[in-house]
Amino acid sequence: MKPAGHHALLACDVFKEEINHFVTASPPWCAAVFLEMGLHDRPDQLRQTVQQRIASLEADHPQLQTILLAYGRCGNGLLGVRAERCRVILPQAHDCISILLGGRAQHDAVLKKNPGTYFYSPGWIRGKRVPGPDREQHLRELYSERYGDDEEMLDELVDADREAFAHHNRAVYLSIFNKPAAENYCRDCASHQGWEFQCLKADPSFLLQLINRDWNSDRFLIVPPDHSIEADSDGTLVARP
Amino acid sequence: MNTLEDLKTAVINGKRKEVKAIMPDLLDSGFEPSAVLEQALIPAMSVVGERFKRNEIFVPEMLVAARAMKEAMAQLEPRLVAAGIKPQYTAVIGTVEGDLHDIGKNLVATMWKGTGFEVIDLGVNVSADAFLAAIDQHKPHLVGLSALLTTTMPAMKDTVAAIRNAGHTDLKILVGGAPITDSYAAEIGADGYSRDAASAVDAARKALAA
Repeated sequence: MKPAGHHALLACDVFKEEINHFVTASPPWCAAVFLEMGLHDRPDQLRQTVQQRIASLEADHPQLQTILLAYGRCGNGLLGVRAERCRVILPQAHDCISILLGGRAQHDAVLKKNPGTYFYSPGWIRGKRVPGPDREQHLRELYSERYGDDEEMLDELVDADREAFAHHNRAVYLSIFNKPAAENYCRDCASHQGWEFQCLKADPSFLLQLINRDWNSDRFLIVPPDHSIEADSDGTLVARP
Repeated sequence: MNTLEDLKTAVINGKRKEVKAIMPDLLDSGFEPSAVLEQALIPAMSVVGERFKRNEIFVPEMLVAARAMKEAMAQLEPRLVAAGIKPQYTAVIGTVEGDLHDIGKNLVATMWKGTGFEVIDLGVNVSADAFLAAIDQHKPHLVGLSALLTTTMPAMKDTVAAIRNAGHTDLKILVGGAPITDSYAAEIGADGYSRDAASAVDAARKALAA
């Protein structure tokens, strides 16, 4: 196995617990960068941020050959991303949910069975972004930074946010390792939203394979240097010059 | 007295209550419903779309503007009906199978209703078969398909293929939603794409004129 100095990890902060949990010995990379979760809400910003960090990693680590991305397509935010002299490896995934479920097909199957599913994971729960008892207060604090004490605007923003989840009816907790507090919090969220609750056993294989350099070309996209990440019309991620 | 500019500003800033108060004032003081729509509401949503694209506002602010727009349309629609404006075209719209996110779709339906379309809204999670049944029933000029998630983009592709395979080769199909692009629309055989609700009116007119 190549030395850690040839590899770097660029990951969404949503995976921090999982990655720290699975990396038990010394890290198999010379640098690990975790980017703020939720950037997929603004795909252009996600693309720019990932692109800038890739450029910094290439500039700061002359020995670097491979950049591992713990990202999926993420609302198209990863499309167009490229490295100049390193290859880039990322899972064939819609997003973090596909990664935690072990594949796009598994993710599609859960949603096909119940399109009203909202997924929860320890990372999302930590980020306070999930629909549940604390979301409203969190949003009010966030919006008041921008709108001050304009209560009417704050009410509108919170109501609009609530409307966005109107068609959901099921909270699914993705249990990747034993974390009862997060699972219980998800139960509370389901109850708060009036949704059904289900705990699904997550599949750690994508993260383990990413960490352990087991990059099967059916499951991972290997992007050569100076190629960009794109998607074909069936959603498969592809590398294009 | 309120002006069209006041209404536009209130919609852009998501001031639903202001919109609610301005609308009767404008309509009672002689502004044509079509002018309210074309000169204030659609340009307002264009500005919102542009600001979002430039990262100046976030998703929630866009949603709040959409609510203000909805409020205006709720008051405008009866006036358009009362004015006896007969819809020029019929459109069928829905979110594709598996997709429950309807804020964008609802906005487009609202825009079309206000600009000469009779809109048959099939709602969310609409199968290709349900679109085909509605096409047979309503004989629309235009079909609008919406998808917010990359997980439901294949359903959009399948729906377009099902419509074409059923022999509706001349029926105009417009697609939209956050992950959809112009090139994806062309790739799956749609006739047009709209980046946001405001440009959906022009996109529909352009597709129908082609």
